[in-house]
Amino acid sequence: MTHSLPNPMKPHLATLVGVRNLATGIKLFQVKIDDAEVMRRFDYTPGQFAEISAFGVGESPIGIASIRARSEAIEFAVNRVGTVTETLHRLDVGDKIGLRGPLGNGFPMEQFKGKNIVVLGGGIGGAPLRPVVQTILHNRSDYGKLSIFWAARTPDLLVFTDEYDEWRAAPNTELHLTVDKATPDWLHKEGLITTLVEEVAPSAENAISITCGPPIMIKFAMLSLQKLGFASEQNWVTLEAKMKCGIGKCGRCNIGDKFICLDGPIFRFDQVQQFLESFV
Amino acid sequence: MKVLTQAQLNEWLNHLAERFTLAAPVNVQGKLLYRQVDDSSGIAWGFERTDMSPKTWTFPATEPILIIEQGAETRLDDAPAPAPTVVFGVRPCDARGALAIDALFLDKEPSDGQYARHREATTLIGLACPQMWDSCFCTVVGGAPNSTEGLDLLLTEVDGSDGAAYAVQIISEKGEKLAAGMPGEEKGVSLPKPRLAKGLPTLPASQEWKAQFNETFWKQVTERCLGCRACTFVCPTCRCFDVRDEVVSRQPGRTVLQRLRAWDACTSAPYRRIAGGHNPRPTQHSRLRNRFYCKFMYYPDDFGPLGCVGCGRCIEACPVNIDILEVIAGVEQLAASGSS
Amino acid sequence: MSALEEQIRSAARQYLENGDVSVVIGYERGPKGKVRPAFVHQADDAERLVWSPECNLNLVTYLHNYKHSPRRGVPVPRVAVVVRPCDARAVNLLLHEQQIKRENVKVIGVTCAGSEVDGELRQACTVCQERVPVIYDVLVEPEQPVEVPEAQDDYGDVAEMESWTPGERLEYWAKEFDRCIRCYACRQACPGCYCFECVAEQVFPHWTSIALELPEKYFFHVMRAFHLAGRCVGCDACEVVCPMDIPLSKLNRMLAKEVEALFGYHTGDDPETLPPLATFSPEERLRL
Repeated sequence: MTHSLPNPMKPHLATLVGVRNLATGIKLFQVKIDDAEVMRRFDYTPGQFAEISAFGVGESPIGIASIRARSEAIEFAVNRVGTVTETLHRLDVGDKIGLRGPLGNGFPMEQFKGKNIVVLGGGIGGAPLRPVVQTILHNRSDYGKLSIFWAARTPDLLVFTDEYDEWRAAPNTELHLTVDKATPDWLHKEGLITTLVEEVAPSAENAISITCGPPIMIKFAMLSLQKLGFASEQNWVTLEAKMKCGIGKCGRCNIGDKFICLDGPIFRFDQVQQFLESFV
Repeated sequence: MKVLTQAQLNEWLNHLAERFTLAAPVNVQGKLLYRQVDDSSGIAWGFERTDMSPKTWTFPATEPILIIEQGAETRLDDAPAPAPTVVFGVRPCDARGALAIDALFLDKEPSDGQYARHREATTLIGLACPQMWDSCFCTVVGGAPNSTEGLDLLLTEVDGSDGAAYAVQIISEKGEKLAAGMPGEEKGVSLPKPRLAKGLPTLPASQEWKAQFNETFWKQVTERCLGCRACTFVCPTCRCFDVRDEVVSRQPGRTVLQRLRAWDACTSAPYRRIAGGHNPRPTQHSRLRNRFYCKFMYYPDDFGPLGCVGCGRCIEACPVNIDILEVIAGVEQLAASGSS
Repeated sequence: MSALEEQIRSAARQYLENGDVSVVIGYERGPKGKVRPAFVHQADDAERLVWSPECNLNLVTYLHNYKHSPRRGVPVPRVAVVVRPCDARAVNLLLHEQQIKRENVKVIGVTCAGSEVDGELRQACTVCQERVPVIYDVLVEPEQPVEVPEAQDDYGDVAEMESWTPGERLEYWAKEFDRCIRCYACRQACPGCYCFECVAEQVFPHWTSIALELPEKYFFHVMRAFHLAGRCVGCDACEVVCPMDIPLSKLNRMLAKEVEALFGYHTGDDPETLPPLATFSPEERLRL
């Protein structure tokens, strides 16, 4: 015990350097930490998140949507659903926020090398998967086939639409789009992501899957992948929960003896299977 | 060993109260709570178990963890440092409770700086229990009524020639420092053996708990749970908290906010409910089960110590008699029937 | 086993055997002899049920756990509940407020001789003249009629507080709420407190701080008392469950007295009359 222990609940002051609409109710925030040295050393891996402060309200855990190699600023896709995100949505370029991170474990991208990768992203769940896609595209020859399944309730809720052309054009890469409810101008599939995955039926051979989306989607995605021959050990999920500290102290986000904030948010499905209650 | 008469102890405590914030068990309208006292006269002597644990002195029920000033520029500051504090009359189980919280807040990275400052500023003077009281089960979870673990000093009531006397065990450096200049005289005393409770269950190991997670037993045990927060708030080891910014003052061009943390409880429904209403622990049985699993499986697996010190307060505080000992016995039985 | 216990068990057994209900909510004795709520799902388990003056909670509060269909396609469960006369009025309250449907609830009404808290007759029971629940499907009756105390001032216990100045009341309650730990046991035990999101915990808008300090405690209790004005049935479950022994019944009874004086209304007396704060008539005049 020493006096000098830092306060891990104290955020870095940061500034919004870019804000743009990503989808209905979803904005992409580009953030720079004010302390240049801290910003320079801010190193993170796909799947990690940060606690973002909207001062006067509090903090919310938000997945980092960028990779260092592609973006100078740290990017976050923020869905307006609660009090913190509501406040964040009212902010603009130049406004101050707080940032603590990077937090969480991130994807073991090294371990995924040489494997075929099936990515399932639903709605805002696509945000933390974008760094995965970007990392693979950035180091394309390190990984096997990339099959991206991207879904949302409606077309206007799809995130990162402006990057789809790049994804499609990449070698050995497929993008499959679907929405639960199509609009007249929608050119792709209509239906659940699980139906689409079963239809396309990516091989489980030398493959891993990564799923991020609402709880109900994860639940059914696991069943579909199981049908396709994916074992629990091949399936990676990113889980989310209400969090207050992001550092394994406040107790709020545990699934069994694992904390989503500390041991996750990325889990191999078999690690948390037993303790999923109603599904997170 | 040094022995103090009641008068000498009072005098010493009066002296401590001048130098430190002195907290001790106080009878507040019939409830025994650890409150600040000006001198020894306010202390409730001869108590059994206090209604609340002294946890609030090392992990305050409410405290700022960050001060935010918004003006021409935004400033973030740590909360003010806690005052040097002595908590007197800590029961051995509660001191072990502090150790359990230490394992999470201090030993597990990243350490919580604010909690560390409280722990550093606080000295715990224990008062050994002469016996295990109703609902006590410290011995089930590795403790004892006269355990010195986690304490800085431990006082044990011994027979004095003239009323109560207290034998002093110095446990830590902090305790040694505090005891310097303590009145009393060195004597050869033998400490009385505390009376232990009988017929208590044996605590199943964490893997036994793991195996019983999906048993219908949990539905039966928790069906009557009201979903209040009493068991967790009286608990010396429960440490869940909520965080929220609150306005301290607002003037034109300058707003001062504080980021508060306050106790919270996994037993209550809103604890994990997210914006939009989804609750990943949708039933009371899953919520209360989490509390037991935290204590007997997650906590020891993740942080080392058990998340329970056997103080028995949750048994006493529960409005519908959810009895942690009955739960332990139930899991013991399930484990036994499963392995036979 | 008392005659009352035998009747409760027999009613429970019958309801479960006939499939009238899927669960009977009553009382049992825990392994250490403490009386506590019991949930009986099988007729054979009806033997667990007990009755004694220590049965001092309001089991109607548990009906909120059974008012929705558990899964799509599954009907709302039917439940039997053991009630005292004060609890029975909470059944009427929940019927008024359309929380439960009469056909889904079987009421096992117990002729009441008063409940005890820590071995002493509850204060409210010493003046209560209600012996038979106002609503029941089965009436549990003792062999000998239960004595009824002479009529006296129902609100004698709050008379003293009424004579206090606002400052004195503030001081009194600040002292009582000081030891509140904001555990919400009072709210959870109350059949009338069933908001999906309590004002005290609402995140948006954020009415009150998360702090466990006096202003928040004071706010919570006073707010709760107001929300229960004209709705509190006087069962005192809030006070019974309070781990800090805060005399919450006094607060509720002050408001019940006001409502009775203003509107001539006594909560839950019948299933028809709507609570005054849930209705409005143009003729309504406050006699202030």
